[in-house]
Amino acid sequence: MPTQTIPLPTQPAVRSLRPQHLPTLVPGVLLLFGIGILGKGLEQFLRYLRTAHHIPTPQIEYVLWAILLGLLLSNTIGVPRIFRPGVATYELWLKLGIVLVGARFLMQDVAHLGGLSLVLVAIELVLSLSVMTLLGRIFHLPPKLTSLLSIGSSICGVTAIMAAQGAIEPDEEDTATAIAAILTLGALALFTFPAIGHALHMGQQSYGIWTGLAVDNTAEATVTGAIYGDDAGRFAVLAKTARSAFIGFVVLGYAVYWASQGKATRVDRKGLFLWQKFPKFILGFLAISVLATCGFFSGTQITSLSNLSKWAFLPAFAGVGLRTQLRDLVNQGWRPIVVGVLGEIFIAVVTLGLVYAAYRHNGMW
Amino acid sequence: MSPRIDTAKIVTQHRLSFNADAVAIGLALALAALIRFNVIHSIGW
Repeated sequence: MPTQTIPLPTQPAVRSLRPQHLPTLVPGVLLLFGIGILGKGLEQFLRYLRTAHHIPTPQIEYVLWAILLGLLLSNTIGVPRIFRPGVATYELWLKLGIVLVGARFLMQDVAHLGGLSLVLVAIELVLSLSVMTLLGRIFHLPPKLTSLLSIGSSICGVTAIMAAQGAIEPDEEDTATAIAAILTLGALALFTFPAIGHALHMGQQSYGIWTGLAVDNTAEATVTGAIYGDDAGRFAVLAKTARSAFIGFVVLGYAVYWASQGKATRVDRKGLFLWQKFPKFILGFLAISVLATCGFFSGTQITSLSNLSKWAFLPAFAGVGLRTQLRDLVNQGWRPIVVGVLGEIFIAVVTLGLVYAAYRHNGMW
Repeated sequence: MSPRIDTAKIVTQHRLSFNADAVAIGLALALAALIRFNVIHSIGW
């Protein structure tokens, strides 16, 4: 099969918000919100038919409707070019939702659950990096592709892969394959994790922590949690945020390794490197949480902030569907996806065991 | 000839031209201030 190398940015793009860019974002932003609101409307309409007219309709959450509508559009007629810059803003809405959801966590909760998550994340990181590396060798994947898959599956998916791209200098094809594999696996998690959670009768908190630990991409982890319930979505965000905090350390480790092999540029200022790779939105999450803990907001205001975070997540969920191409399931070659699937199954089982061990005593499983 | 992996192309070729972290934090703090000082009274769901 003929292949074409996908052009990827070799240097981090200069990121500036210029006024002339804003109009180009409008169509895609309207599409994101339109799909999200349509999903919410569909959920309410079907619920109305069920309760008021006793018509049997499927109980599908707005989260899943938004993803399904996005998937339907992007995999049938496709996303027209005019919408694409705005659709990319789903990342902004996702981060806005995460920062705002900080209002629902008092610092005591963050310290307790975040601390628990950090311990579980540390165990998950060691095991998943080891297993993905082993699987990459067994299936003879290119070493840097193995590194990218390991980084993507152990920390935070595409963000981690993009962060590693500049540090370990892989082939463009490896980066594209790793991103596609991680996104494909994330799409599979959307449908498998809730089914497993229900089958195991998991509570909102234990399920949310599990998805935050096991699902790679922040967007997919948030969605996979929210499909199970609003509380599960919140806890998924908390665990995923704890996991994302490790991104700099893992990428730095791989950068140092590949530099020692003479196959990447040496990292001189490691402290600056760690700060550059650190996901800054976590600081916003903590800032809002500190304000809520200090009593800066009333109960009603915290409810408003929580609702605002749901409105921010709505277009982010639509964006997850819009950017997922189901044909990538077959287009990326079987070896990366087999390594990814086996690695993800391992990570899912291990993190499920860790969460079970952490929650079995307090009756919150 | 089309690129082999469409999702990766979409993700990498349509990156945001601004820092989403900084904008998200700025927006969140601004909205939180508007709610705190009752410029926005209530947001429903």
